[in-house]
Amino acid sequence: MIHFVILINRQGKVRLTKWYSPYSQKERTKVIRELSGLILARGPKLCSFVDWRGFRVVYRRYASLYFCICIDQDDNELEILEITHHYVEILDRYFGSVCELDLIFNFHKAYYILDEILIAGELQESSKRTVARLISAQDSLVEAAKEQENSITNIIAHATK
Amino acid sequence: MEQLRTIGRELAMGSQGGFGQSKEFLDLVKSIGEARSKAEEDRIVLSEIETLKRRIIEPDIPKRKMKEFIIRLVYVEMLGHDASFGYIHAVKMTHDDNILIKRTGYLAVTLFLDENHDLIILIVNTIQKDLKSDNYLVVCAALNAVCRLINEETIPAVLPQVVELVNHPKEAVRKKAIMALHRFYQRSPSSVSHLVSNFRKKLSDNDPSVMGATLCPLYDLITVDANSYKDLVVSFVSILKQVAEHRLPKSYDYHQMPAPYIQIKLLKILALLGTGDKQASEHMYTVVNDITRKADTSSNIGNAVLYECVCCAAAIYPNPKLMETASSTISRFLKQSDSHNLRYMGIDALSRLIKLNPDIAEQHQLAVIDCLEDRDDTLKRKTFELLYRMTKSSNVEVIVDRTIDYMISINDSYYKTEIASRCVELAEQYAPSNQWFIQTMNKVFEHAGDLVNRKVVHNLMHLIAEGFGEDDDAVDSQLRLSAVSVLDHFLFT
Repeated sequence: MIHFVILINRQGKVRLTKWYSPYSQKERTKVIRELSGLILARGPKLCSFVDWRGFRVVYRRYASLYFCICIDQDDNELEILEITHHYVEILDRYFGSVCELDLIFNFHKAYYILDEILIAGELQESSKRTVARLISAQDSLVEAAKEQENSITNIIAHATK
Repeated sequence: MEQLRTIGRELAMGSQGGFGQSKEFLDLVKSIGEARSKAEEDRIVLSEIETLKRRIIEPDIPKRKMKEFIIRLVYVEMLGHDASFGYIHAVKMTHDDNILIKRTGYLAVTLFLDENHDLIILIVNTIQKDLKSDNYLVVCAALNAVCRLINEETIPAVLPQVVELVNHPKEAVRKKAIMALHRFYQRSPSSVSHLVSNFRKKLSDNDPSVMGATLCPLYDLITVDANSYKDLVVSFVSILKQVAEHRLPKSYDYHQMPAPYIQIKLLKILALLGTGDKQASEHMYTVVNDITRKADTSSNIGNAVLYECVCCAAAIYPNPKLMETASSTISRFLKQSDSHNLRYMGIDALSRLIKLNPDIAEQHQLAVIDCLEDRDDTLKRKTFELLYRMTKSSNVEVIVDRTIDYMISINDSYYKTEIASRCVELAEQYAPSNQWFIQTMNKVFEHAGDLVNRKVVHNLMHLIAEGFGEDDDAVDSQLRLSAVSVLDHFLFT
């Protein structure tokens, strides 16, 4: 299973973290520090996998961001590499040529999307279309709620004038 | 012009973002982005935490504002700081009827809390209510939370509702409900043991995503008790065949491969069911061969499926044609001198086939040695794992000596311990002579003495005390003497 997903940039700044196994706040900081050190130091031509504390971490670099996924030793590493790519392709489609800035200012959306792809440490949905449909349904619901709120606020505002 | 463009972008960013973030949040993110040192970043974040602490306890905060505070808290925790004072507010947000607020509340709560947190008690009721909602998106949000926050104790509170949702009209709900049940199984197998028939039924669900989700719990169940599921071999093979023949909707294609993730899961399941079972395995040979033939060797995902095919071939009852196909896949992987990933997978696949066909290692000797000497540490480690599995009396000396040399260079104590115990194990099992055994053990103690299991040292002591069972007494005491002098160095440094 997948134990956690971490996105860091070349300076080691955290952009997203999702934990599927129990890690305390202190442990999380330690994990991030250790892995950043390990992964950022690796040259470009090497394996996309590192051994770490009895687990395996699969990582892939996209522009300035490193996507790191921690799995068990008997999982299929190439598959996980492609799951990372699957996530990035979906992000790309959603944001339209996604860049680090999109993830910085819309990290909550990146989380919502990740929650449709992975759940409880397993791959949940392999169809990009289904994920896109679900996210857009959620988005339109949110838009509708906002409109409703605005209109109610307006009504009240007018009523109390 | 340049200025206008930047202002335009800033305005756009401000109005973008589904949670209508305020200027404060944008400033926070920007200033953290521009911070030049970790210390400066920490200062900014700590000051943000102080601000939030003060403002979050003010009376009558508008819901939108509270939502923003929570998002800022999520951000702050993501950077490694503690925002536990805000957890209760996130919990309260999940109770809200407004979906905008509720959804943010659930997101925050699944990021902040884990299943053993005290605050979970306050959320369970809300989850129970939301699982019954008319709005399927609310149900989905609740199911997401269930997969993260429910533990053994709280399973009974939500189990009946989740079971009902397995038959919900919306496929997204059915899929998440199955994953939730899978999670329950992992936390407490007995809680869902009576629900196995649900998983079996959903295997034939119309929606491929739901079918795919069912493979997760089935895999775990089969790992524990393969025999009860042998009757499903034919179904699994049939599904795999249909998937490979592109019979699923095109939206499940990934880089021209038809539903590769589902194929991989199915191959893993078949590997379990075919182990040691000739009859079951016979159903599988054709489909695995077909998939191997059709897989796209130029894409990562194609190779991922190929690798899984080899793993399956290595696990089930051997078949010569399948072995041949597996062997040529491995050759192809190992020959990719510019792809470390593929060579890594090749070495891993090779170590699985060794058990069935020991000669196969000879065929790929050169490639293996190349990997051994590669500067990539991950590849080296994998190759040492292969060597460990290939060891027999005829090659134990070479392999153990090489492994010890490598062990000396390792800094990571976790890994060093593992390698040291492997050396010991191989030495104990295959040592060609007592003399070599003592020398080897001495080397291991010298370089990893504090990492080796105490029991190993005692065993050696025991051997020295009892003698090595040599016929010639003189030889025996000679060995004892050398053993003692060797250990003397170890004991008194």
